[in-house]
Amino acid sequence: MRVDEKLTLLLQITGPPPNVPPKHHTTTTSTPLPTPTPLPIFPTADEKGRPLYVSGSQAERMARAGRMSSPLRRGTHESWWSSEMGWFNAVAKTIPTYRVLDEEGHLVRGSQTPEISQDEALAMYRTMTLIPIVDNVLYQSQRQGRISFYMQCAGEEAAIVGSSAAMLAGDEMFGQYRESAALIHRGFTLDSLMAQCFGNVEDKGTKGRMMPVHYSAPELGFHTITSPLATQMPQAAGAAYALKLDEERQGDCVICYFGDGAASEGDFHAALGMNSVLGGPCIWFCRNNGFAISTPIIDQYAGDGIASRGPAYGLDTIRVDGNDALAVLSAVREARRRAVEGKKGVLVEAMTYRVGHHSTSDDSSMYRPIEEVKEWSVVDNPIHRFRAFLASKKWWSEEDEKKLLAKNKSDVMRAFGRAEKLPKPKLGEMFNDVWGVGKGEEVPGVIMEQRAELGRLLKKYGDVWEPWRRERKRFVEEGEDVMDCDGRGS
Amino acid sequence: MMNRTTRIAVIGRRYQSTVVAKNGNGNGKPRQSRSAPTIIESKQPEEPSLGESAHFKHTSEEALATPGIKFSDGHGLKGPTGRGRQTRRMNLYQAIRDALGTALATNPKAFVFGEDVQTGVFRCTTGLVDEFGTQKRVFNTPLTEQGIAGFGIGLASVGACAIAEIQFGDYIFPAFDQLVNEAAKQRYASGGAYPLPGGSLTIRAPIGSVGHGGLYHSQSPEGYFLGAAGLKVVIPRSPIQAKGLLLAAIRDPNPVLVFEPKILLVVEEVPVDDYTLPLGHAETVKEGSDLTVVSYGTPLHTSLRAIDLICNPPPQLVSFLPNALKPPNPAPSIQLIDLRTISPMPIIELVESVKKTGRMVIVHEAGKSGSVGNDIAGEVGRRAFEYLEAPIGLVSGWDTPVPLTFEKFYQPDVIRVFDKLVETLSY
Repeated sequence: MRVDEKLTLLLQITGPPPNVPPKHHTTTTSTPLPTPTPLPIFPTADEKGRPLYVSGSQAERMARAGRMSSPLRRGTHESWWSSEMGWFNAVAKTIPTYRVLDEEGHLVRGSQTPEISQDEALAMYRTMTLIPIVDNVLYQSQRQGRISFYMQCAGEEAAIVGSSAAMLAGDEMFGQYRESAALIHRGFTLDSLMAQCFGNVEDKGTKGRMMPVHYSAPELGFHTITSPLATQMPQAAGAAYALKLDEERQGDCVICYFGDGAASEGDFHAALGMNSVLGGPCIWFCRNNGFAISTPIIDQYAGDGIASRGPAYGLDTIRVDGNDALAVLSAVREARRRAVEGKKGVLVEAMTYRVGHHSTSDDSSMYRPIEEVKEWSVVDNPIHRFRAFLASKKWWSEEDEKKLLAKNKSDVMRAFGRAEKLPKPKLGEMFNDVWGVGKGEEVPGVIMEQRAELGRLLKKYGDVWEPWRRERKRFVEEGEDVMDCDGRGS
Repeated sequence: MMNRTTRIAVIGRRYQSTVVAKNGNGNGKPRQSRSAPTIIESKQPEEPSLGESAHFKHTSEEALATPGIKFSDGHGLKGPTGRGRQTRRMNLYQAIRDALGTALATNPKAFVFGEDVQTGVFRCTTGLVDEFGTQKRVFNTPLTEQGIAGFGIGLASVGACAIAEIQFGDYIFPAFDQLVNEAAKQRYASGGAYPLPGGSLTIRAPIGSVGHGGLYHSQSPEGYFLGAAGLKVVIPRSPIQAKGLLLAAIRDPNPVLVFEPKILLVVEEVPVDDYTLPLGHAETVKEGSDLTVVSYGTPLHTSLRAIDLICNPPPQLVSFLPNALKPPNPAPSIQLIDLRTISPMPIIELVESVKKTGRMVIVHEAGKSGSVGNDIAGEVGRRAFEYLEAPIGLVSGWDTPVPLTFEKFYQPDVIRVFDKLVETLSY
């Protein structure tokens, strides 16, 4: 290449060299742009003169697939050209609700009883009847100021226990906060449950740091409950992806609980989006109980519930009668099969009703008629429906019922009485676990200094300052454990 | 006003009478389980509750004398009739509800919305829907904080007055992006064009711990917003302040976060008319010349009580005072400043005070790292270094999450503030 040729090329690419004064400073009109090369004519007919794009069925379109242009085949889904301006606001006209038992507990015509042994059924029933007693005792105890907070699962026993019963021992469970029955069904003891609610010295899960019902049980695959809503959902997608790639955990599955309200959070969409693209066995279990605190579902969404969003993310989806324990059990079992085999997410929307208040901080009579609540608990009671099924199988009698209720009550009262008498954890637990500390490492100075400052203050005022003197008596070692050092803080 | 000695005597008498009453009641042994933690009967009078703080205004005269109060009708303290202004007893949520009602009534483009506002978790919005709901200006939103904040920015963009509620300060973080990246920067990014004239965004959220909220119902998130220039952050301490500052925030063209302490039981006489209190200014709650105490929200009342304990020490605390602070020596003169506006911070007012007193203690509930207190200490340390006679003290929550069972030892309580004040005064 000759030098002047090179220079011309360089000029074309980078403009004039710096020593040449820029033209636009001196010329009044800008240099005209070069005429663009005309675009190639886009073919509208094939070589035989037939038009290239015609409307038609998907089958016809598939037959012509070789001639389709790319925009209609993006991603995994396909569309076809249509000359009709076809608007839509639903994928299916109505989403049916799957059920096995009717309101009175009779098998619905045409339904198949899921495979369930007498033992499994009775175990489910035991949990379903135990949780109302736990709820009742702890709810009342909050009212008397003996614990700080509580949330019941009244009305949702079938949805929670049915789904938990469909899961296996190695599975991971991400709860929202109303799933204590699922945890009990997995083997969480009444003593552990009471310990958490009282935040006493036996509260291994949260060491007295968290509000009641914020359980944590890694040994049962139950991830820590936190109060923010829907934050558990992208986490569940991440856990599911890890299971998908972990050779030792093939066959395990994640179940993630959430409510109709949480489904409005950005995290819901983030989670389903990531799970649908990245994969990983995960059951998205929505407890659609009609209310997010006081906000009814009519203020929460205008589409067809949560189930309608599953197809938007390409997830296998089902809507199920959440007050029908058998339907929930069989739907979640099938969901689990699909999730594990396909290493993908499956959405289950369980339609139920929150019979109790949102929490002890809520008075639901302010926003819904008591008659409505009564109707749900009488006409469509998940426990009654399941009991009728047990009775029809001759697995259950009045006598059994009496015995079970008496046993449940005494178990709960014993655990309650025991937990209430136990002292709080060591005061120093306040400063532990903020950061993890590796072997040979030290707790960060910022924490140790503040712990030492409290220690100094407790030594100084712990006996003379009445609010502290009284308060420290509640703790094991009465705060002596932080008084091992002296500090001025930072 | 009684002097110190009589006050102690009165406390002593009160204690005796309580004991007599309790003994008179006893018929047999107290029932106590053996393994139960022993709670020894109190020998000292109960600490006064927050509501008993001497600071709250219990008469109309006191309420109307609130510094900086500005009535929107422009008629001053005499009112349009010339016969003065009325006040009504309100707690914090009633005062907030009053401000919201006033904002809705005076601006047809005002909207109040958030999760559960139609019923109102703290009842700040209870009944508003009956009054304004027919115009669809008070409404429940779907449960999405980022949505609520973004929706509010959108309303304000086209000239509406958006007043949004985040149910707990702890749940504001999904909205962080909208608030910090959008609301705070909108004016700057659009060359001052957006929001359109008349548009304003106010976000209300209750913050702080009440003793049983744990990790997610007790946080004080104000420190996270310190770096978001363009946002204003306001924290009122009482019903009167809440109404005036909230109305000022609503009428401010900038996006304002109003974080409300959860002190619902406190009652004050609150002027019923439409008034504002100035944003961007601290308020001296108590004058003094030996020490400056800066606080805001609930801990302001804790600080006030701690100052009281130094000036009128109860018998069990006298021994912790150095001789110079002990009776009969005169009590130290401590200035208490309510910061009120966290951002933009009225730092000059604080520096002026420290130049006068030479000592400073900051009290807040949020943890120490990344906190308002550290910001103040840095600025004051730089600007008033040669005036300082003691290190600037900071009493705050620990740098841990707010732990449920341990909350009484987490909060910067009266005795911790007392200790820091004594330490700073005797440095």
